[in-house]
Amino acid sequence: MFKSEPRLPILELSSSLLPSVALQVSGDTSTLLYIVFFMGLFVFQFAFGTRIQVYFALNDIGRGLTKLKAMKEKSRKEAIDYLVNVGKAPGDPSQRVDQFLDYVTIMPVGIDPQGLVNKIDHVVTTNNDRVRAEVTALVAQNTPVTVSISENLLEVATALNMIHKVVRHYYILGKKTNSYFTLIQLQMLMPMIIQESDALLNAVDSFKVGQPVGDGIGPVSVSRLMVGKEKRAIAKDTVMAITEYKGRKLYVVKADGPMAYVGQPGVAIRKVVEEMGVKPSAIIMIDAALKLEGEKTGEIAEGVGAAIGGIGVEKFQIEEVATHNKVPLYAILVKQSILEAITVMRKEIAEASEKVVQTLQRVIEEKTKEGDDVIVAGIGNTLGVAQ
Amino acid sequence: MMSSVPAADKKSKLLVYSVEECPVCGQKTKRAFAVGDYVTKDGSKCAKCGNQSRVSLVYAESSKPSS
Repeated sequence: MFKSEPRLPILELSSSLLPSVALQVSGDTSTLLYIVFFMGLFVFQFAFGTRIQVYFALNDIGRGLTKLKAMKEKSRKEAIDYLVNVGKAPGDPSQRVDQFLDYVTIMPVGIDPQGLVNKIDHVVTTNNDRVRAEVTALVAQNTPVTVSISENLLEVATALNMIHKVVRHYYILGKKTNSYFTLIQLQMLMPMIIQESDALLNAVDSFKVGQPVGDGIGPVSVSRLMVGKEKRAIAKDTVMAITEYKGRKLYVVKADGPMAYVGQPGVAIRKVVEEMGVKPSAIIMIDAALKLEGEKTGEIAEGVGAAIGGIGVEKFQIEEVATHNKVPLYAILVKQSILEAITVMRKEIAEASEKVVQTLQRVIEEKTKEGDDVIVAGIGNTLGVAQ
Repeated sequence: MMSSVPAADKKSKLLVYSVEECPVCGQKTKRAFAVGDYVTKDGSKCAKCGNQSRVSLVYAESSKPSS
């Protein structure tokens, strides 16, 4: 019953073309191989490309993770060595240090933001007090400098421990779930993570011997104004001196050096204004600022606003006081990289302190008049910088 | 795609110095940092006028000339 079915036109066409194509291909085997190779490559890339990238990403992250582990262990060892050799810890502090590294600070809930800064301040202060008390109890040689350096070394070790843990978490998670995007993101971030971890580890060398770090440029600059003047404690780990410049009364604030303190400049400024009844015409803050790639280390920038980093509590307090009392806030910043900020102060930064003082004097002359009160705050870690 | 983790840093060695400055004549003396040095610490007698000098700066310099 099917014997006289008509043939489809397409079949006719293909049957007429195929012999000629076959003839051409068989005439050129290399072209055929060429086509097969690239088609195979395309299929291979399509099927296995992601897996190959995952393989390379895992290798890269694995290498970075090994480095992070070595850094973490080195910082832990340095902290223990300092506690034993300089702090003269009576027993083996290793177990206590390990407990310390895993200690967590739980930030307050942010879903009801009213009063959040005070809550953060409370939690952070509780943590700082705890660290100070524990370190003081841990070492026999509990001078303020030794205790503050120990605190900083333990902070570095804690930070490196946390970085290693988080990277390891995403590495294992990405490996387990074979998640291409998790691993690729982590791989892209690894150079920055390694760079920052390296900076933290380098900071250990400066901290151990009490050398000023780049972040201490604010304290270095204002210490020039405080030398030989009477100092008084104005807030926790913070001192103030009163001096004069061209008929203006300067209230100079900095963390208490040469300990590795950052102090409480927010509390100090609030006390000067609210408790001492000073009505400043300006608050001038001097701090280190992270430079952008391409900017020169030690360059000075001027601006307005509260020049202070950290979690934001101090900045909030200073802005509150300034806004409430309508006091203009001026900033003098010294540019530096993150590595330069936490390692021994570079020459370019140290030498900028003279220019900072000149800039400060110019700002005072331009923005205030004779008889005015001015608050000057040197912000930053004051390790190796007394007053 | 290939290795993005930086290789070992090509760091130049940093040498740390303390600068002592005489508050009277302004004479500056640079010497190697000694453990215990800090900014504003009393230094040696000024070589020029004999007054008490003071550590005014502590900083690090690269041992290689900067490019």
